[in-house]
Amino acid sequence: MSAGAGLRVELRQEAPIPLAVELACAPGELTALVGPSGSGKTTILKAIAGLYRPRQGRVAVDGEVWLDGAGRIALPAHRRRVGLVFQSFALFPHLSALGNVAAAMGHLPRAERTGRARELLRLVHLEGLEGRRPAELSGGQQQRVAVARALARDPAVLLLDEPFSAVDRATRQRLYREIAELRRILGMPVLLVTHDLEEAMLLADRMTVLHRGRTLQSGTPLEVTTRPASAEVARLVDVGNLFAARIAGRDADAERVLLDWHGRPLEARGRPPWPVGARVAWVIPDGFVVLHRRDRPSRGEHENPVPGRIEQMVVLGQTARLTLRPAHAPELPIRFSVPLHVARRNGLAAGVEASVSLLAEGIHLMAEAEDGRAPP
Amino acid sequence: MLAGGPADMSDRMSATGSRRRASATTRRGLLATLALALPAVRARAEAGPLVAAAADLAFALEEIAGRFRAAGGGPVRLVFGSSGNFARQIRQGAPFELFLSADEDFVLELARDGLTRDQGVPYAVGRIVLLVPHGSPLAADGTLADLARALGDGRLGRFAIANPEHAPYGRRAEEALRHRGLWEAIRPRLVLGENVGQAAQFVTSGNAQGGIVAWSLALAPQLAARAAHAPIPEAWHAPLRQRMVLTRRAGPAAERFLAFLRGPEAREVLGRSGFLAPADGG
Amino acid sequence: MDWTALRLSLELALVTVAVLLPVGVLLGRTLAFHRFPGRGLVEALVALPLVLPPTVLGFYLLAAFGAASPLGRLAEALLGRPLVFSFEGLVLASVIANLPFAVQPVQRGFEAIGVELRDAAAACGMPPLVRFLRVELPLAWPAIATGLVLVFAHTMGEFGVVLMVGGSIPGETRTVAIAIYDRVQAFDDRGAALLSAVLLAVALVAILATFGFSRRVGRRLG
Repeated sequence: MSAGAGLRVELRQEAPIPLAVELACAPGELTALVGPSGSGKTTILKAIAGLYRPRQGRVAVDGEVWLDGAGRIALPAHRRRVGLVFQSFALFPHLSALGNVAAAMGHLPRAERTGRARELLRLVHLEGLEGRRPAELSGGQQQRVAVARALARDPAVLLLDEPFSAVDRATRQRLYREIAELRRILGMPVLLVTHDLEEAMLLADRMTVLHRGRTLQSGTPLEVTTRPASAEVARLVDVGNLFAARIAGRDADAERVLLDWHGRPLEARGRPPWPVGARVAWVIPDGFVVLHRRDRPSRGEHENPVPGRIEQMVVLGQTARLTLRPAHAPELPIRFSVPLHVARRNGLAAGVEASVSLLAEGIHLMAEAEDGRAPP
Repeated sequence: MLAGGPADMSDRMSATGSRRRASATTRRGLLATLALALPAVRARAEAGPLVAAAADLAFALEEIAGRFRAAGGGPVRLVFGSSGNFARQIRQGAPFELFLSADEDFVLELARDGLTRDQGVPYAVGRIVLLVPHGSPLAADGTLADLARALGDGRLGRFAIANPEHAPYGRRAEEALRHRGLWEAIRPRLVLGENVGQAAQFVTSGNAQGGIVAWSLALAPQLAARAAHAPIPEAWHAPLRQRMVLTRRAGPAAERFLAFLRGPEAREVLGRSGFLAPADGG
Repeated sequence: MDWTALRLSLELALVTVAVLLPVGVLLGRTLAFHRFPGRGLVEALVALPLVLPPTVLGFYLLAAFGAASPLGRLAEALLGRPLVFSFEGLVLASVIANLPFAVQPVQRGFEAIGVELRDAAAACGMPPLVRFLRVELPLAWPAIATGLVLVFAHTMGEFGVVLMVGGSIPGETRTVAIAIYDRVQAFDDRGAALLSAVLLAVALVAILATFGFSRRVGRRLG
């Protein structure tokens, strides 16, 4: 990707809303902005669209600067080619679906607008409903009008602010597929604000984690959820097994680290910057917790074995979600999943004794939480 | 599915120009706006000098103005009210050309302050009467003896006079009541009209059991049909010397109307309308 | 029937409406959309005529524009006649007295549009004037119409201020409300009754119209 292509955003201010934001989104890429409510997600979208003016920052799309420095350049919203889908859709209640879409076509000669608006409504599967007012459309249909309207400007960047939160679950699944398809066709940077991690994992190529106006980590959803940059990120993206440990020893040549996890030795990979004796936070995602089978020994059973007792088993479809209380520290439950048939075959149930291995390559070490909230 | 996709769109981007399309709704709104904003072409107020006259002249002056017009003098615009208010309005720049005051003091004060052409001329002396609506428990007794009794035995509910603070007839009414020693007793019962016409209206509408008003009003047919009256002795109050004056704004038509008011025809009307001729004969 | 008074009242009401339409839209929209220092004071000043007796307003207008005041002299020099006791003076008084009736409904109307819808219009590429004409006005017009109807009806019926600054000059400042007062004092009950019936009808139609407008708003935004 060339230096200028795609969307590049940098926002900085102390007040009234603290912002320290840095993010990029390549053409055709979908970046999800995730974070709890109040983390500044919507403010960032507004700053990109020109609806909010941060004290400092830079917004550029495909090399065109929309906002720069101490206000030397600050294009007004109507001169930034953005497509913005609002959480509440914000359709014009006095205009028909067609009118709403055509309203964003000030750049086109008048004669072409209606035809083009019809095309866009067809693109979002709303043919036949062109004449309806927003009040006469369902939530899902309103969302599609909002998307069509956002595309009507021929935007250089598409901004979606929690666009699925106001529609029901079934509609949402269908809209996910349509957005994924649209993104492939359109080839522009797409920024999706969501507080729903599953949604982000499902749709996004990249994910940026936000907290209190600061971007904490950007990366692929897999990176962010398996190798969170900090305990804070781990907590925000809800990586299950977050614990604290002490560095007990290191083997620099072999890239091995020895951890003391509440008296239980664990081995991890890598060359972490911390000295022996330092306290660290660590996570192990679900997929790196391996059940010791009764029927046949699995590979890697010698790796970080943790015996314990199953406290809870929740069956979701063909998956069993398990909580294991380790024998050495029952107050630190490990959560993992296995296929339901594996759970059955091994006679897993609440109260049953079982052992797991924590695969060394899955253990990810992080600095202790900055906010002082140490993981257990 | 994607006929005319984004590439197609960007081609059209060059054909910019924000030609505004006013929707039907907007257009209707604009039309309504225009219709409202059209300068309402004001019909010029009807011609004729503006005359401010004490409320006691309400009936007599209409008749005199009619005769003036019939005699070829043209129209005049009459406004009736309290003399005190008119004097204040003239000070504030009201466009009156001729002022007929029920009390000459107002005229003389305006003259002293240079707001009138001269000191004006007396045109009449007013009389006050006790006015009692038909069916009232009060008797139409000019000596006020029955009023005094009514105050004692509780027959009297409300009693109307013009506001003594600025209406000359109110002042004379107060003087007469004081002369008979009834003022303090009657004060809680008083309703004050903004001018003597309103005081009379309080009486004829039956909202007051009696009142002291101008003789000229009591004689008017509209009132005579609804209320009886009896004159109160002139000696009980200062004379109601009435004076008229041209203001600094007066034009020729106002001058002609003033002259007509001093003529025999006007005198005759005033004479039978409850006004006495001025002492110095005008 | 005092046609002159009726005509005068209609003229006064229409001119007041015409003056207050742009003033109300501008001021109401500004108060609805913008936060600025002194905004609360402006809102309070606009609302003042609602709670102030008309006579107080009349008193200050007389003091400010009477023949003895510098402003009054200036006005007389410009108009060729005094502002008080003239139609122009009534227009001025009526505009001030009706400010809250024009501004407040309009302000509520623009406020009801909401920041998201306005943001959406900007994000759709509409420059400010287009946003105003294509989004704000179509959504706010029932509120604007409500304000204007209220101003019209209220001006038709205004008494205190008119009496104070206008007196009762036929064809110039004797409006219907004043004429009713005069008719009563002239013992002309029939005339007063006719004029009163006209004002009653105007008030009733105005209130029905504003109810109709607010139902429209409800349907629009609800």
